[in-house]
Amino acid sequence: MLEIDQLKVVYTSNQQSINALGPITMSFEQGEIYAVIGPSGCGKSTLLHVLGGIIQDFEGQVDFNGDRLNANKYAIGFIPQNFGLLPWKNVEKNCLISLKIRGMAIDQQVKDRVNSIMKRLNIHNLMNRYPNSLSGGQRQRVAIARAFSMNPDLLLMDEPFSALDSLTREEAQELFIDLWNEYKVTTVFVTHSVEEAIYMGKKIVIMSHCPGTIVEVIDNPLFNHMEGIRHLSEGTNESLRDSEKYLKLSAHIRGIIKRGWKK
Amino acid sequence: MRTKRKLSTFVQGFIIINLLWYGLSIFMNLRVLPTPFMVYQKISLLYTDKIYQHILVSLYRVLSGLGIAMILGIGIGLLIAYSGWWNKLLNPLIYFTYPIPKTVLLPILMLLFGLGDSSKITLIVLIIIFQVIVSARDAVQGISQETYAFIHSLGASKYQIFIHVTLPAILPELLTNLRLSVGTALSILFFAEAYGTHYGIGYYILDAWSRMDYISMYLGVVTISLVGFALFIAVDLLEESVCKWKQ
Repeated sequence: MLEIDQLKVVYTSNQQSINALGPITMSFEQGEIYAVIGPSGCGKSTLLHVLGGIIQDFEGQVDFNGDRLNANKYAIGFIPQNFGLLPWKNVEKNCLISLKIRGMAIDQQVKDRVNSIMKRLNIHNLMNRYPNSLSGGQRQRVAIARAFSMNPDLLLMDEPFSALDSLTREEAQELFIDLWNEYKVTTVFVTHSVEEAIYMGKKIVIMSHCPGTIVEVIDNPLFNHMEGIRHLSEGTNESLRDSEKYLKLSAHIRGIIKRGWKK
Repeated sequence: MRTKRKLSTFVQGFIIINLLWYGLSIFMNLRVLPTPFMVYQKISLLYTDKIYQHILVSLYRVLSGLGIAMILGIGIGLLIAYSGWWNKLLNPLIYFTYPIPKTVLLPILMLLFGLGDSSKITLIVLIIIFQVIVSARDAVQGISQETYAFIHSLGASKYQIFIHVTLPAILPELLTNLRLSVGTALSILFFAEAYGTHYGIGYYILDAWSRMDYISMYLGVVTISLVGFALFIAVDLLEESVCKWKQ
């Protein structure tokens, strides 16, 4: 379980201290997937950077399984908005770099695992290519493969699908959910899309304007039920019921947004 | 494929420059401007005049100068980029000394280091090192923080961050700098070899000039150009092998 207690991030700019985030107190359960949605500039990314150990200057406490969250101790898979692939490493090396840095032995078992993930994501034939020569969708799949290949304790994604065009995005989301359902890694991802939050978030965390605090956490009943809504062609009763629920939920979230991200 | 294209560019350039040279020498019709054929006929001088020895001595000076300047320069550049304290100390020094034309220091260097190779190599180092320091520093500072986010999330050590992110990120700029430095080093070499030595391709050209042996002089010019070109190719090959991802 990931527990955040009175987390607050303040930074100084032009000798003025600006409260960028919080205070936030919240716990994230193991094996769940959280979608964090909020207005731009509310500190969503800051929150993710704190969880990823990229920002280390914060007030309050972040614990993981009763222990300080520490990037050296726990495997944290972080997928930044630009996917964060290293341009000077080919796809295979990019996928293995997390393991290498964490000092994990790359034996046959690990290789098989990485290979099977790459096959699942359909990037195994791009092993020797460099990121510069890949499309946005391919790069993103490499980033996902890299995160999953080290079997992370925690997966963090910063607007992971926003750089893709809409068709590639839907495909990438489906692939991701597929993979996630297999590994069930505790995941926190940030998004500004209501649709994406409902499709991908088992729990949806709504944040307020800057400095971001948590307005509401919703249990999403539609998680893993969105296929029917996306592909309405089947038109079963269940998918119709689901699409009603979807409209209600998205109206609720949009309502909060309209009221200015207040409850 | 790339090598083939480069080779054909080289051959084309070689033919064009020789045609221009030939046309000019026919047009001017002066003893001081022989045709390329007259020069190439004397190519055996490379061996009988021991030009290869001059080449080796010059290469030694250029490569030592380049090597020392690159290693020291990159080291100091990184130090400045990483440490505020060193930056405060060295930045004013670099800012102040950058615009000084260092060639004027040759007499002083010769007084301090003698007439031998060390004063010549020092001159090359002094001129090149400042550009290397500045470009290494700027290259490191130009890497966006975003580039580091991912590796920080893995809890990487400073050394790992340097090896996997910083170094490969600045390599292309360092190689561009090396390429420029090769050209600069060769020009300085010619100047430095004018004094206190009987070896080096610069000396050979000046010596032939003073003996009014124009054919040898031109052969020297052709030789130093080819040496420069060979070094250029070497940088190309280096770039191709360490920056594969750029292509």
